Amino acid sequence: MLDSDRGQGWIVGVDVGGTFTDFSARNVRSGAMVVHKRPSTPADPSEAIINGFRELQEKIGLDGTAVDRFAHGTTVATNALLQRKGAEVGIVTTRGFRDLLEIGRQVRPSIYDLQIDAPPPLAARHNRLEVTERVGYDGGVIAELDDAAIDALIEEIAALDGVQSLAICLLFSFINPDHEQRIAAAIRKARPDLYVSISSEVQPEFREYERFSTALINAFLQPEVSRYMDRLQAAIGGLAPNARFGIFQSSGGLMSVAKAAQFPVRTALSGPAAGAVGAAASGAASGIGNLITLDIGGTSTDVCLIRDGRTEIAHVREIAGFRIRLPMVDIHTVGAGGGSIAQIGADGLMKVGPESAGAVPGPACYGKGGTKPTVTDANVYLGRLPLSLAGGGLMIDPEKARAVVEEIAADLGVSPVRAALGIAGIATSNMTRAIRAVSTEKGHDPRDFTLMPFGGAGGLHAFDVAKALGIRRILVPRAPGILCADGLLEAELQENFVAACRATLDAAALPRIVEAAQQLDEAGRAWLDAEAGDASDGRVILSLDMRYVGQNYELPVEFSGDLSDLAALRDGFLEAHLRSYGHADPDAPVEVVNVRAKALARLLQGRADATGPAELAAPVGTTKAWFTEEAAVDTPIYERTGIPVGTVLKGPVIIAQFDATTVVPPGATVTVDAALNLIMELANV
Amino acid sequence: MSETAALERAGTTPAPIDPIELEIVWNGLKSVADECFLTIMRSAFSTNIKERHDHSTAIADANGRLIVQAENALPIHLASMSGLMGHICAQFGDDLAPGDIFIANDPHVAGGTHLPDINLAAPVFDGKRLIGFVANIVHHADVGGAAVGSMSGGLDEIYKEGLRIPLVRLFRRGELVDDIQRLLMLNMRLPEERQGDLNAQIAAARLGRRRLEDVMGRIGADRLCRIFDEIVERTNLRMRTAIAQVPDGSYGFTDMMDDDGAGTEDIRIVLKIEKAGERICFDFTGTDPQVAGNFNLTFNATQSAVCYALKALLDPEVPNNHGIFDAIDIVAPEGSLVNCVSPAAVALRANTCQRVVDVVIGALAEALPDRAIAAANGANTSAVFAGIDPRTGRQYVYLETLGGGMGARATKDGKDGVQVNITNTSNLPVEAIEQEYPLRVEGYALVEDSGGAGRHRGGMGIRRILRPVDHTCEFNGVGERFRHQPWGLFGGQPGGAGSFAIETEGQARRMLPPKASTIRLSPASRVVIETPGAGGYGPPAERTETERAEDARSGKFTEAYMTRNYK
Repeated sequence: MLDSDRGQGWIVGVDVGGTFTDFSARNVRSGAMVVHKRPSTPADPSEAIINGFRELQEKIGLDGTAVDRFAHGTTVATNALLQRKGAEVGIVTTRGFRDLLEIGRQVRPSIYDLQIDAPPPLAARHNRLEVTERVGYDGGVIAELDDAAIDALIEEIAALDGVQSLAICLLFSFINPDHEQRIAAAIRKARPDLYVSISSEVQPEFREYERFSTALINAFLQPEVSRYMDRLQAAIGGLAPNARFGIFQSSGGLMSVAKAAQFPVRTALSGPAAGAVGAAASGAASGIGNLITLDIGGTSTDVCLIRDGRTEIAHVREIAGFRIRLPMVDIHTVGAGGGSIAQIGADGLMKVGPESAGAVPGPACYGKGGTKPTVTDANVYLGRLPLSLAGGGLMIDPEKARAVVEEIAADLGVSPVRAALGIAGIATSNMTRAIRAVSTEKGHDPRDFTLMPFGGAGGLHAFDVAKALGIRRILVPRAPGILCADGLLEAELQENFVAACRATLDAAALPRIVEAAQQLDEAGRAWLDAEAGDASDGRVILSLDMRYVGQNYELPVEFSGDLSDLAALRDGFLEAHLRSYGHADPDAPVEVVNVRAKALARLLQGRADATGPAELAAPVGTTKAWFTEEAAVDTPIYERTGIPVGTVLKGPVIIAQFDATTVVPPGATVTVDAALNLIMELANV
Repeated sequence: MSETAALERAGTTPAPIDPIELEIVWNGLKSVADECFLTIMRSAFSTNIKERHDHSTAIADANGRLIVQAENALPIHLASMSGLMGHICAQFGDDLAPGDIFIANDPHVAGGTHLPDINLAAPVFDGKRLIGFVANIVHHADVGGAAVGSMSGGLDEIYKEGLRIPLVRLFRRGELVDDIQRLLMLNMRLPEERQGDLNAQIAAARLGRRRLEDVMGRIGADRLCRIFDEIVERTNLRMRTAIAQVPDGSYGFTDMMDDDGAGTEDIRIVLKIEKAGERICFDFTGTDPQVAGNFNLTFNATQSAVCYALKALLDPEVPNNHGIFDAIDIVAPEGSLVNCVSPAAVALRANTCQRVVDVVIGALAEALPDRAIAAANGANTSAVFAGIDPRTGRQYVYLETLGGGMGARATKDGKDGVQVNITNTSNLPVEAIEQEYPLRVEGYALVEDSGGAGRHRGGMGIRRILRPVDHTCEFNGVGERFRHQPWGLFGGQPGGAGSFAIETEGQARRMLPPKASTIRLSPASRVVIETPGAGGYGPPAERTETERAEDARSGKFTEAYMTRNYK
């Protein structure tokens, strides 16, 4: 039984990152919570998952049968895309259009660099087949798809060499999917050995290039992800036979393993999305709904804006140069992280990133052969980073950090402290630009938000970033190094539905819009009954993609009330337009492009144990930390687990924990709140 | 004149500024330009800005030198903003006040490159001392004139192309000069949209002024001016260092444009380059006189094309600011195609800019064989369909610009079907075209055999086939390299030429000229647009067996082509 009162109440989240595989386990009845971390096994990520789970079991004496839910954030799809290691794929498309996927939007990634190209399409041209058929803009058939053409197509497919997976990509299939479905059925019948992705099933939305590209990526990922899911499910089934196994999707909810195997493209941003969901949950525990996340990893920083406790959703994104059109948590990434290398650029100025020392050789201070100064080395030099990381698993060599910082300082002709502060400052200015992209660019003022740093290095730079943006408050979650795994525990079951419904927003077209919405609503409820019968709080959220007539891009507008209230629909759009673009014309005609539904069901999460120690433990040490060039200041280091709820500390203070460090600068104060989150106020900085 | 500029003129080098502070302040200035860019994008009314981002923003110093630009600013816009700055300093240098905002678009008297690009610039002061300017430019969808969109082919003097705005104040000491604004709006189609876009520009200028004042407040006016100087100097040094890599010597190249759509054919662009040490001079003496058709370049449009080409060849990452202009000497005879004088028509200058880029690269190919690329499609192929939509009874105008082949490179083939050089605009999805307009797209493909053969082959052109549905429409096309094919390098073969053709069932295929205007198209006919491919690099005999096999297997090249070029 799943998530019901009969279970024994353990839920486990596992997030596979490039360096570490993180576990977060919680007992929904007792509130007991435990985290675990082990190195990832990139060749076969399931190895670290299985071994790590066994270690976790031993650590807390957990019986596998006591696990009710196992939620997984995966990077298998992302890595397959980044490394271009997927299946040999082909497509079937409308006659006359086989090059459409290759031309894409006819733009190049860099306007000045003559050597940088968009990646070649995942399907080679000789694997791109055309079939005579054509559907028009209104869904009417302009050229029939006849059976002889399908037979001929099957023969052409038989002649393809080594193709394992096919994407069916026809024009206007988002309005009339009949031709795509007939072709898919015929292929499945004739060739049960092939995987088939249908563009109108993967994402039935207008704009052929984005839809085809999404379907093709799905086809490319399907064989590998299916195998991985099978392998993992078998293993977890043995270790935790009673667990519901959920896969985290980029849109921010869990789906079944079967869905993940069918639509692997939905997991392309699985990991970072889990972090955003974890951040929203941590903020909620402290009663803070407006957050900007700052997830600083080794090579990059992810930022995401959360408004009223909900992550913003983007509908199109590029990964590894390939365009994906699907609802995804809107995460912006910049190439600045702890491992980013500082060097002197062609103009004689110091640059930080996007080159990174990665996990190997890593920053110089890791002593694994790194010889270039990184952001982490600068933090060590500045006395901001305690000398053991990852629970003591990684020892820092401060002499190596000093050597590389002094070297670049000499090259620049500045003091080493100046150089180290400069490295941190330049990294901060890069991160600040990422935050502007998710805030100011979208019409939000960052000063209205609380900054939530996480990842191992988030807490090291949060105060600098906040200062640069005018942000006054920082919330550091209780387990910042493991927030993605935490987010997996908080995730709801989720399924997204979309239907094309192009109509001018007026009384005449309203019945059609309402009908399309009702159909999606029904589809959402049917899904809830089938997939989430045991979960609680099942609900369907409807939204409309709307725009002014003549515009090329839509704004999603959510509706909870009566859909037949024309004025309310219109007002909702005007408000969204005003927020996004700074103005709205109340009289211009508006049209609907898509109707969307998101079905959600809450899984039992319980309350995390939030009792800290009774008394403040003494600092575990003192470091001389540099905040200005003038002088280092004595800065006590507290162990986070030794700080009781309600404690107020004044900066400078460093708070160290298992796998993350928080720096509180002079002038700032930090409080531990009832949810065990750190709340840092920067009013006096 | 600022103190630092005075020092510079006296030949004194300012004391070095800490490279860390400079990087951080520079990042901050870029953020100011970026925020202005986004302000325009967010608050403009027209699709051209909101979705195609046909706008740019920048910061200039007190001498009108460009210092930073927004990350997504366009090369041709920089020329225009820079041109405007020169005119402000020359015409109003002693007569600037806080709160002033200037407006201009004219290519002949205000530094512009064509009329739809409207420039705004606002001076920024520290007390009474002029510190610099914030500037922005927006391509307005219409600025009046003989044809909708102010970009039609065949217009033969600038008066027909739209409203000419000399350098005038739109705001004087913070007060709107409403007389000017009303005059502008009366002369443009869709005045509400124009006003919306202009308001976005005004908002961006005010924001930029405020943000630049913030930066000045943090670090002080003197320091900011020194940082401006430092940015220009470092960029100039970086560019000169890059130029020094070019072997000393004289280089030359000549290419020909097909025609100007107004009676002149085979328009010659002649370039000689003298390179010595850190100096490089581009001399266009010998280039044909300016033409009647609207393909002429003002000097700063030529400058932007030359700078683009040199930067792309030598150091794509070099920042765009005055430091680049200063490193390059250009001689362009007045009254020629590349330095036209009033009343030359200029609307379609992008085609000529593309060709200037090809010519610069062609001239330097011998000196920089590893970096040069063969000729690209060398055009800014555009197609306009206009008529009455039978579904609504409303008038429609559909404009599209199409990419083509990119030239083959020293290490790899040219990219197929892509925008090249100074342009990078998206296509419109087939599913959008057919919903919005009474048109059907019957094919969208790469043009087989259009990539020139070579050790590395040229990129392929694009074929787009469109048919009007249930009505007769008008087609206007502008193309280049329909006769003068994109050339290959070092033995590489030329790429395929472009073409416009009309196919009507039961009739012979009818070829159209490269500047095809007011062609009637009935539903029984379709227009087939083929954009040029691009040239190959190196002798075809050196192409590997594997690559030849892939050329054939992909179906991009016919058997006849393979035999002709490789056997």
